[in-house]
Amino acid sequence: MYSELLHALPEVIGFSNFAAVIIGVIAGIVVGAMPGLSATMAISVLVPFTFGLEPLVALGLMAGIYNGAMYGGAIPAVLLRIPGTPAAVATTFDGYPMAQKGEGGFALQVAVVSSAIGGIASAFALMLLAPPLSKVTLLFGPSEVFWVAVFGLASIIFLLGGNPVKGLISACFGVFVSVIGADPIYGTDRFTFGQLEMLDGISIVILLVGLYALPPVIDLLETPLKTDGVESSKLGTEPIWKAMPRMKGFWKTWLRSSVIGIWIGILPGAGGSMAAFMSYNEARRSSKHPERWGEGEPEGVAASETANNADTASALIPALTLGIPGTAVAAVMLGGLLVHGLQPGPMLFRENPDVVFGFMWQFLFGAILLILLGGSLATNSFARLLNLPRPLLGSVIIVLMLIGVYSIHGRMFDVYLMLGFGAVGWVMDKLKFPLPPVVLGLILGGFAEENLRLALRIGRGDWSVLFQNTTSLILVALTVAVVVGPIVKRRMIDRRKHAES
Amino acid sequence: MSNRLTRPETLTALGIVVVAAGFLVPAAALRPISALLPVAMLVGLIGLSVILLISDQRKAAAGEAAAPMSKSPTRVAGAFALIVAYAVATDLIGFYVSTVVAVPLTAFLFGYRNPLGLALATVIVVGAIWLIFDFGMSQEFPAGRLWAA
Repeated sequence: MYSELLHALPEVIGFSNFAAVIIGVIAGIVVGAMPGLSATMAISVLVPFTFGLEPLVALGLMAGIYNGAMYGGAIPAVLLRIPGTPAAVATTFDGYPMAQKGEGGFALQVAVVSSAIGGIASAFALMLLAPPLSKVTLLFGPSEVFWVAVFGLASIIFLLGGNPVKGLISACFGVFVSVIGADPIYGTDRFTFGQLEMLDGISIVILLVGLYALPPVIDLLETPLKTDGVESSKLGTEPIWKAMPRMKGFWKTWLRSSVIGIWIGILPGAGGSMAAFMSYNEARRSSKHPERWGEGEPEGVAASETANNADTASALIPALTLGIPGTAVAAVMLGGLLVHGLQPGPMLFRENPDVVFGFMWQFLFGAILLILLGGSLATNSFARLLNLPRPLLGSVIIVLMLIGVYSIHGRMFDVYLMLGFGAVGWVMDKLKFPLPPVVLGLILGGFAEENLRLALRIGRGDWSVLFQNTTSLILVALTVAVVVGPIVKRRMIDRRKHAES
Repeated sequence: MSNRLTRPETLTALGIVVVAAGFLVPAAALRPISALLPVAMLVGLIGLSVILLISDQRKAAAGEAAAPMSKSPTRVAGAFALIVAYAVATDLIGFYVSTVVAVPLTAFLFGYRNPLGLALATVIVVGAIWLIFDFGMSQEFPAGRLWAA
């Protein structure tokens, strides 16, 4: 099972594949360092440009960006108390006070080393857990695959927190978009209104760019952030090898936070910010000096940064094996796999072992490269990026979005469609409708429909075929648990609060 | 009363109901098995939007103010209008001409006024796009419908 993992290694260390990871990490740090830009947005903008690339080059870029952005978010969090990504919020608690004391450089070094450790642990978890899980899922037939898709959607909607009605609306919208185009069995048009461009369905890339890239650009232009620049006194950087001995006491935090991050990453719907908060709280609880936390305790930075990087590769465990992404970035990455003809799920491991195992190595290398590329000198340079004018950045991203979407099929129709989805995405973003269920609905909707209809054909139209084996029943039970669980939990909390008052 | 109906969530819920109901019309012409999933989703959207509408109206009745969708609606509308205008201009007069105008214009209108910085950024962005996509990857960009006609 793991021999294929070693078999994929020579492929990954080829020049172009390795260079892709390096470029990805640098680009990720840059994106993460810019408040308002996220890994999800960067990968959404990148995906259309990867069409002409080899799958491993494209995936290397994505893995690098994901790893880089998770650390990059720490740069403004430490220097300006503005988290570059949502996952870096907990980093501000101790990172910024450290910068105020003139220890910003050390805080960033703790962040980069901790991010690398979290990323390495996460990549190992992906390598160890995904292959056996994929073997189990190979046994699934059409009805089980249908239930996996339903379970995936249900878990994203109900575990994401917030308003389940809005989550359901997002998912219904995504699934509806997935059925636009020719019917998969009969070939009849569905909701194309005579537009030939829509016969093949709506490309996931158009939806991704519209939903994830346009709203942040509008935000950049709406409120141009006035940063006060980065003063060199806040950094106080020394070479990273000189700073390493000061971190040797953090090993327990690194270990604990890695486990928390990996676990949160595997859970659908949770994400880097939840991992960072949980890890920060746990580390503070077990500290001998909890009173120092919040006033510039380097271990606080270590806890949050380890956890938010430990959820990167692990979020791909359910994504690659079952097609259920653990986070929004993982959902976008699934889109990236699809544009290269790689259908996430058990068959991915059988049909493209070099690509899927190579992708896992790229995550590991991306995490290791963080230390080299995000070290002291680079950190100084990346920190200067915060002084870039936001309106200029916004206008450049608009151009990149247009080029990316236009280059998919070489037609302006896709650009207009992307703008439409962008407008919908902006409204959804402002009204707090979760976006991952839309992407997941688009990915899983067509997949679920195809397998449902296949199962019904096998069962000659008998719907009971969907409930005829144990695996299907387990998946149905899990789906019900995922839907009912949070409702019961909320009721219990309400009852307890009521009793206390 | 009109305030209650112009709350963002209420308007969104009403919009979803109208659009989803509109899509149900062509769905009726499909074979039952082809229509199964789309109709289920459209009916789901309508039902859920009604729930959203009721919950938002309850909040309004309880005196809860709706949070505004934007701190600066003019800037948001301007940003959307500029992006759409850029796409339309690309379609009509071509990619390079539109981009040379759109990059500095967007940055200028939204607060970055340094002429040297604007000129430098435009040259770098357009030059890099030409070098990477046009020259390096032989990617063709829209030449403009007006010139083709």
